[in-house]
Amino acid sequence: MYRKDGKDYFIFDSHLHFWDASPANWVKGQEEYAKGWIECFHAYQGLGPAETHWSIEKFMKYSAEDFEKDVFEDGHVDVCIFQPTYLKEWYADGFNTSEQDAVMAARNPEKSIVNGRFDPRDGDPGLHQLEEDHAKFGLKGVKLYTAEWNSGSRGYKLSDDFAQPYFEKCIELGIKNIHVHKGPTIWPLDKDAFDVSDVDKVATRYQELNFIVEHVGLPRIEDFCFMATQERNVYAGLAVVIGGLMHARPRFFAKVMGELLFWVGEDKMLFGADYAIWEPKWQVEGLVDWDYPDDTFSDYPRLGVDGKKKILGLNAAKLYDVEVPAELRLAGEEPAAREAAQLVES
Amino acid sequence: MTKDDVLAALGTVYDPELDEPITALRFVASCEVAASGAVDVRLRLPTPQCAPNFAFLMAADARDAVRSVPGVGAVSVVLEDHYTGAEINAAVASGGGFGDAFPGEVEGELDALRTLFRRKALVARQGRLMAAVQDPAAARLGDLAGPDAGRCRELRRELGIDASDDAPAFVRGDGTPVPVSELPRFARMASLTATSLETNGGVCRSLLQVRYGTEEVAA
Repeated sequence: MYRKDGKDYFIFDSHLHFWDASPANWVKGQEEYAKGWIECFHAYQGLGPAETHWSIEKFMKYSAEDFEKDVFEDGHVDVCIFQPTYLKEWYADGFNTSEQDAVMAARNPEKSIVNGRFDPRDGDPGLHQLEEDHAKFGLKGVKLYTAEWNSGSRGYKLSDDFAQPYFEKCIELGIKNIHVHKGPTIWPLDKDAFDVSDVDKVATRYQELNFIVEHVGLPRIEDFCFMATQERNVYAGLAVVIGGLMHARPRFFAKVMGELLFWVGEDKMLFGADYAIWEPKWQVEGLVDWDYPDDTFSDYPRLGVDGKKKILGLNAAKLYDVEVPAELRLAGEEPAAREAAQLVES
Repeated sequence: MTKDDVLAALGTVYDPELDEPITALRFVASCEVAASGAVDVRLRLPTPQCAPNFAFLMAADARDAVRSVPGVGAVSVVLEDHYTGAEINAAVASGGGFGDAFPGEVEGELDALRTLFRRKALVARQGRLMAAVQDPAAARLGDLAGPDAGRCRELRRELGIDASDDAPAFVRGDGTPVPVSELPRFARMASLTATSLETNGGVCRSLLQVRYGTEEVAA
């Protein structure tokens, strides 16, 4: 919970990681990729405030205590989702698996949600694994990384035929939140890997599922926004938007927020710190304080206290059926107030 | 033939995603011209994992641009510090295409991708120009001036869209004029596309700065 100017904000961080990218975990012969991946993430950390930068050594492997201090103690986070990224071609035990996350989550079970993953190229064994993971972790969501390299393939699309049984399995198991993370490669390599039209197709097909597009489709924010206006069940994950732009490029941040508020709306935007790339503290505090820098942004919708409360926590809490303490809900959403409103309306 | 001639040629090579010259983006790490006329160009990108297709286009376009400079001898263009650098560099050195770099992993060459991003670039440039035009429906291409207008003409020529002075100033990516009734929405979408490209350019500049310690340049 974060309090500022007498207002209390419930903080639901929809996107963070507990990874091990230390050299001991690099797959032999794949060191270049394992090293390149974590160095790339580390460069992104450079877009945050200087006092939040870590050494590459700490960044490769941080402790459970680091996590708890940065996220729960200093970071104001009430509930968080661990989003896995396996990358087992490059990291022997995986970069950040649900198993690793579950160990971390068990230290703070009331504050932690473990998400799963699948790779549709894994066929029937993958479907079986998803069932097992669901039984083990009680999954409400999965995170998909479409650019993952797998046995000679450098990626896939959600609309690929072989992916469809997985979405049907998610519906059957009650896994209703699908976080989509696009990366630089898909098959075939001559197509735009960041294209989000495959999300559009499956969002239309599977109305029971919610699709949270991480980093709002960046670098294809325009395609994401056009798509999100058409699909009721598509949400904007703000990981990277806040961490990567709010400090480093504040005017671009204002424009992107303005566009998202206009096209997608404050009810469908979800805060995610993307820890350990960026610590939540400065992002939460910065977003609560944020406003457009000047009146050249007057074409865009305003973001008020209620909107910030939704983005920082209430929207994601709804998707994950997390109960928000009554005093942290919006005024109109408190049960007593709702009953009163119904009486008046009837 | 001087180094400046080679750099000028490299200045005509655009990052297809950002629609900016690779020289302005500081993607040219070094450019050496030997007495023999041999040219060695090194390219660098903001992350080791920038998309291989766009990375290939920039490297291959740089190769072709430098080769076209009169008096140039052997040309070597090398993409540094990239996770598919070995594949890309081998194909670029042998004069091959994208399919030669990644055999079995492509369905076609990169023409469709290039066209798609030229269309985006055209829409984005128009988004910026439109804000300053009184009556966009009546405006002709010849009414527009400045760098965005110049780049629009280039993009239109590359896309096979009429780029003459009396052509409609504002067209969709496929070249069809925007009907008056759709202008407000088109303006909004074009402005969003411009924001997207500019933001990506900002992120790329920031990451390049972190990666290589390059000095900040105004975005």
